[in-house]
Amino acid sequence: MTVEALYASLGLSLPELILAIGALALLMVGVFLGEKATGLVNWLAIGVIALAGIVLLSMNGSGVAYGGAFLADPFARFMKLVALLGSAIALFMTTGQAKLYNMNRFEYPVLILLATLGMMLMISANDMMSLYMALELQSLAAYVVAAMNRDDVRSTEAGLKYFVLGALSSGMLLYGMSLVYGFTGQTGFPEIAAFLSSGGRSLGVIFGLVFILAGVAFKISAVPFHMWTPDVYQGAPTPVTTFLASAPKVAAIAMIVRVVIIAFQPITTDWQQVIVFISIASMLLGSFAAIGQKNIKRLMAYSSIGHMGYALVGLAAGSLQGVQGVILYMVIYMVMTLGSFACILAMRRPDGEHVENVSDLAGLSQTNPFMAVVLTALMFSLAGIPPLAGFFAKYFVFLAAIQAHLYALAIIGVLASVVGAYYYLRVVKLMWFDDAKGSFARPEASLRLVYSLSGLFLIGYLLIGGPLGAAAEAAARTFF
Amino acid sequence: MAEPPAWTCHPRGTTIDIAALLLPVLVFAPLAGSIAAICLPSRQGTEAAWLSGLVAFLCLGISVYLYLHVSHRGVIAWQVAWIPQYGLNLKLRMDGFSWMFSGLISAIGLLVVVYARYYMSSSDPVPRFFSLFLAFMSAMLGLVLSGNLILMAIFWEMTSIVSFLLIGYWYQNGQARDGARMALTVTATGGLCLLVGLMLIGHIVGSYDLDAVLSSGDAIRNHPLYLLALILILAGALTKSAQFPFHFWLPHAMAAPTPVSAYLHSATLVKAGIFLLTRFWPVMAGTDAWFWLVGLAGLTTLLLGAYFAIFQHDLKGLLAYSTISHLGLITVLLSLGSPVAAVAAIFHTLNHATFKASLFMAAGIIDHETGTRDMRRLSGLFRYMPHTATLAMVASASMAGVPLLNGFLSKEMFFAEAIETHKVNLLDTVTPYVATLASLFSVTYSIRFIHSVFFGPPPRDLPKVPHEPVRWMRVPVEFLVLACLIVGIVPSLTIGPLLHTAVEAVLKDDTPSYSLAMWHGWNLPLFMSIAALIGGVILYALMKSYLANSVEGPPYIRRLEGQRIFERVLVALSWRWARLVEAKAGTRRLQPQLRILAAASLFAAAIPLLHRGFQPADIVLRGIDPAFAFVWLIGMACAVGAAWQAKFHRLAALVLLGGAGLITCITFVWLSAPDLAVTQLLVEIVTTVLILLGLRWLPKRIEGATKPEEMTFGVRLRRLRDLLVAVACGLGLSLISYTVMTRQMPGTISSYFLERAYFEGGGTNVVNVTLVDFRGFDTFGEIAVLCIVALTVFALLLRFRPASDSLEKPMQQQVQNDFDDRHPDRSKGDSISDYLFVPTVIMRWMFPAIGMLSAYLFFRGHDLPGGGFAAGIAMSIGFILQYMAGGTRWVEERLRIHPLRWMSIGLLVSTATGLGSWALGYPFLTSTSRYLHLPLVGDVPLASAILFDLGVFSLVLGATVLILIALAHQSVRAPRAHIRAPRPSGTEAS
Repeated sequence: MTVEALYASLGLSLPELILAIGALALLMVGVFLGEKATGLVNWLAIGVIALAGIVLLSMNGSGVAYGGAFLADPFARFMKLVALLGSAIALFMTTGQAKLYNMNRFEYPVLILLATLGMMLMISANDMMSLYMALELQSLAAYVVAAMNRDDVRSTEAGLKYFVLGALSSGMLLYGMSLVYGFTGQTGFPEIAAFLSSGGRSLGVIFGLVFILAGVAFKISAVPFHMWTPDVYQGAPTPVTTFLASAPKVAAIAMIVRVVIIAFQPITTDWQQVIVFISIASMLLGSFAAIGQKNIKRLMAYSSIGHMGYALVGLAAGSLQGVQGVILYMVIYMVMTLGSFACILAMRRPDGEHVENVSDLAGLSQTNPFMAVVLTALMFSLAGIPPLAGFFAKYFVFLAAIQAHLYALAIIGVLASVVGAYYYLRVVKLMWFDDAKGSFARPEASLRLVYSLSGLFLIGYLLIGGPLGAAAEAAARTFF
Repeated sequence: MAEPPAWTCHPRGTTIDIAALLLPVLVFAPLAGSIAAICLPSRQGTEAAWLSGLVAFLCLGISVYLYLHVSHRGVIAWQVAWIPQYGLNLKLRMDGFSWMFSGLISAIGLLVVVYARYYMSSSDPVPRFFSLFLAFMSAMLGLVLSGNLILMAIFWEMTSIVSFLLIGYWYQNGQARDGARMALTVTATGGLCLLVGLMLIGHIVGSYDLDAVLSSGDAIRNHPLYLLALILILAGALTKSAQFPFHFWLPHAMAAPTPVSAYLHSATLVKAGIFLLTRFWPVMAGTDAWFWLVGLAGLTTLLLGAYFAIFQHDLKGLLAYSTISHLGLITVLLSLGSPVAAVAAIFHTLNHATFKASLFMAAGIIDHETGTRDMRRLSGLFRYMPHTATLAMVASASMAGVPLLNGFLSKEMFFAEAIETHKVNLLDTVTPYVATLASLFSVTYSIRFIHSVFFGPPPRDLPKVPHEPVRWMRVPVEFLVLACLIVGIVPSLTIGPLLHTAVEAVLKDDTPSYSLAMWHGWNLPLFMSIAALIGGVILYALMKSYLANSVEGPPYIRRLEGQRIFERVLVALSWRWARLVEAKAGTRRLQPQLRILAAASLFAAAIPLLHRGFQPADIVLRGIDPAFAFVWLIGMACAVGAAWQAKFHRLAALVLLGGAGLITCITFVWLSAPDLAVTQLLVEIVTTVLILLGLRWLPKRIEGATKPEEMTFGVRLRRLRDLLVAVACGLGLSLISYTVMTRQMPGTISSYFLERAYFEGGGTNVVNVTLVDFRGFDTFGEIAVLCIVALTVFALLLRFRPASDSLEKPMQQQVQNDFDDRHPDRSKGDSISDYLFVPTVIMRWMFPAIGMLSAYLFFRGHDLPGGGFAAGIAMSIGFILQYMAGGTRWVEERLRIHPLRWMSIGLLVSTATGLGSWALGYPFLTSTSRYLHLPLVGDVPLASAILFDLGVFSLVLGATVLILIALAHQSVRAPRAHIRAPRPSGTEAS
């Protein structure tokens, strides 16, 4: 690689460089200042993410860097912004919570930065190799943060499970990539697509494709690779769960979109079947299994499994509208998730005890009416009831599915969301119609800010939906 | 994105601009009122009522004003572009039909507000009631005025949500909570189905604009998706209008405050389904599917609703079933597909709203003044509240279809249509009979309503002393009853033009000629009416005594209640199935999770194989050397043995594993890959030794020490399954590898390296050239990783303390020490100091030889098997031998290797080599090579890559030694509780 090419590449990946250098620098700050610097490192990490976001915003145009391994384009930019926002907000909510959850360590923000870096690279990956590396960077950081509360059995168990299952799925991913390489002789996405469109479709490639999809389906916790989700969500400290449920999902979905829409575009009918299957399975399982949950974090885990199924409905369409739907779905999903977890983090009794059961929300409308209103909006939105943002998310993906003649998928999706609505409404009923068992302590300002903003977003989506949809469409045009 | 004008109106003239702008006012004024009302303190009920009344009055005024613009098929529309490329616009549109509905909504809304002002108790949070009331009004007006299908679905769901909150207004009441939840579950589910149905319609038409949809009836009816869209839309409409089989939620919604029932469950919410069916009547009706689906639902509802109503004891329950029945009547009319029937449907919608709202209000008055709604306890109220009784009698006469009242007119139209033949089939034949029977039932329950409440002996032990309500509570009822009478007597002068406006808007050019007269002569419908009236009276006379004492609900069928089935389904769905799914598919144990993960992906991958026919290349067995095959058999035996012994005999397993590794090395040699063989051999040795060292500190697992697992059938089955999974995975992998290897690789990179290794890399050992030159950057990364691994192992082991059961001295040492103790001439430790004496000497002497070997391997690396990595590993073996021979302390007293320095120097040298080429203007890690002639030695190949290789060597050596130190130090450490052994000197690393 010549110096000029290197400079060009460095320029294209400037936000990633900021994150990488920032993470290492903050690690040094933490090492030399010790545990007392946790708060400082946390805020600095938010600053680093903000800086990366600003640089990202100021960039435009697209290009390929590092010999084709890294791609900067409008889609990547949009999804990266969303992912950065998710990470930053997750960190922001941790600022006041770390001590309460016994995870007051400076490594946490550093690991989040590294995971964020992994996500950014995943979104920009244009080659199987860089994709795998990025995915592993993100995953390894995630395994560690899941076990952040080392003295808690649940937390360590969550980390271990996540790691073992994650390693298996990474193995499958790698295996699929090797097969695809073996049968196409290429690792770059455009090159694979070129080979496939010139008649290179063979059984081995499809075989590899299935394994690749299995590997990435694990990352978005789609059925049947969802097993880890409830355990990890429940076991990990809640601030960590907040992070795991938001930004990484956005990055993983972006990665799937890029893999199937670019690399395997010539064999669309093949991957479409797989995506349709895991989408249906995720929607149904997410809806049904959530009903019996008593722990609200497990409930959110199944809910997120279901939501990934809905997002994949858009991808299954494989069209411009479909990808636009996926992008919008992920944005809205992330806002809803962050808002819901802000409320879950606020479920703390005045004596400092954290409660996690759905039934603990009973009578919230009497003890904290404002939070009850926001959480109601969140639940209605998650259920997809108009005119909240969650409705539009579903609307876009179902619309794309209908336009792609996937009628059965759309109808099963609607039926699943009916079942889903049932358990969201159960939460609403608890909050409004049942008697309070006890009140909650006044939530921290950061939590109040986050859930208020997310509630505002969901209700005000009617007003901002237009520009956001246009931005998503511009991002989706990258592929078409 | 194309940017359409933000505000577009479709005026027929400039004056209509104002009219179009009034549409959003109509929708958003109640919404604003709702927000204002919720901000009022909970005691200011009167203010909230005034606010609501004014808003409702405003809406009514606007509606009245707009009549001029919509009469004679006028249409006004207002829209804001939103996401036009998705067909999503905020478009409000009013034609005659939606005008009729908005008039109905605002007029009855105003009356109900007046009524509720006096009905609601001051102890309730009244502003909340009015806020929800206005929100509902806004949603309902939005629904009827939507000019866009998606917007319609949105308002549809909003009406469901607000009605949920209104039904559950008295949330302290368990029945109200259940009723609210059931209503929401049923109607919101229908709403979601409706959404998909409307999206399908939009897909068929290509536009979500209501005008476009209404003008493409043929396209919709002939489209293959018509049936699907119809079913989905019907699912929405029938749930909302409480039609069979979704009718059961409505009676349970009666737990709502009576003003809510009067408004939602007579005039508005339940009419939304009717509105939808009528709205799409021109584009969807007339097909067989429509006739059967809509007709069957309507006819069943008509009959069952009327029948069930007779057996209700709750006043509101009776009215609820009556509403269900009347809505069924409208549905039947719509199903017939004839324009006259559609006219009758629209007319009956209006009439039903008037008399049913007044009846609900009357029931509310009775409840309010007596404290009960149970007809078995009420009687003879006429003498206490004659005024209310008269009003109720007129209204229920209209419900029963008595002449001179509006109910009679639309019922006659219904009978007239029922006896017509629309399609030749069974359903059409039975319609007139069912219609007469249902009408007969309706006469019976109407009489029951009046007779059991107002007549008979004076009531006993009522919770309150009955009396007439306050004046203003009665005014809305009076108004509605008056309307019933006037419309019933002079229909064409009063309701005629309004109805015609609505009808024309729906039917357009198909508008039939019809007459709204009370008297049509002696015809068949009139005889049907008379038969129903007489039959109804007789039936009531017969059943009177039974009804006075019976249990609630009709005999026999009461067990088959829809609500119970609904509960069952919900319980099955929400608990049993959900639990089942969770129990079957969601385990918290890691092992099954892994199994499912592996099985799912294997299964998924097997589908294309089976689907597309998998044909592996034929297996050709040729040129198999018996010796080689034998070597492989040994290797396989070693591998299987290692797995067999892994549980209790780790050492044996490790030795066998080493055997398998050795066979791999031999294979590499056999297949002419000496370089790989050398590396493999060295790595094998080092890892085996390191694991051996680590084994010492693992907790012991002794066979038989723990209770053996009982070999039940289940255990055997589980093991068999695991075996099968393992065998399947292994076979699958072999098959895939075989398939991949037997096919022609498209343009592999090996040939590239083979061709260029000598000319561009200056070496004949392609592997080494690849490592240090072509793929130098990768190697650079790898050695950095190796560095990190060594540091991590060291850092982790620094704090590691062996498990307590592995702290005792090894058996061998204990035996020897015992031997020393027993002999007085020996002191403890003598035997151990002589342990392996001869091998120790040899090993010490070997050290320089190994060093030579290492150097040899290093220098020949560029052209022949060897290289920096192999040399580094070889050198580490020398150190391992010293550790084995002399023990930790002996070695470290003499050790002059500082692993950290070696590692960092190695990394720096490699980096510097790479940067050097950069400084000379070449890309990172470009190498150059030439042969150097040395005296005596001859030509020595010298590439700049050899410097890089030197870095690799140094780093590998340092890393191995560091790990070795970390492991070896365990033997000089004590567990945490004990005093720490003195730190060994000689290394800075520990």
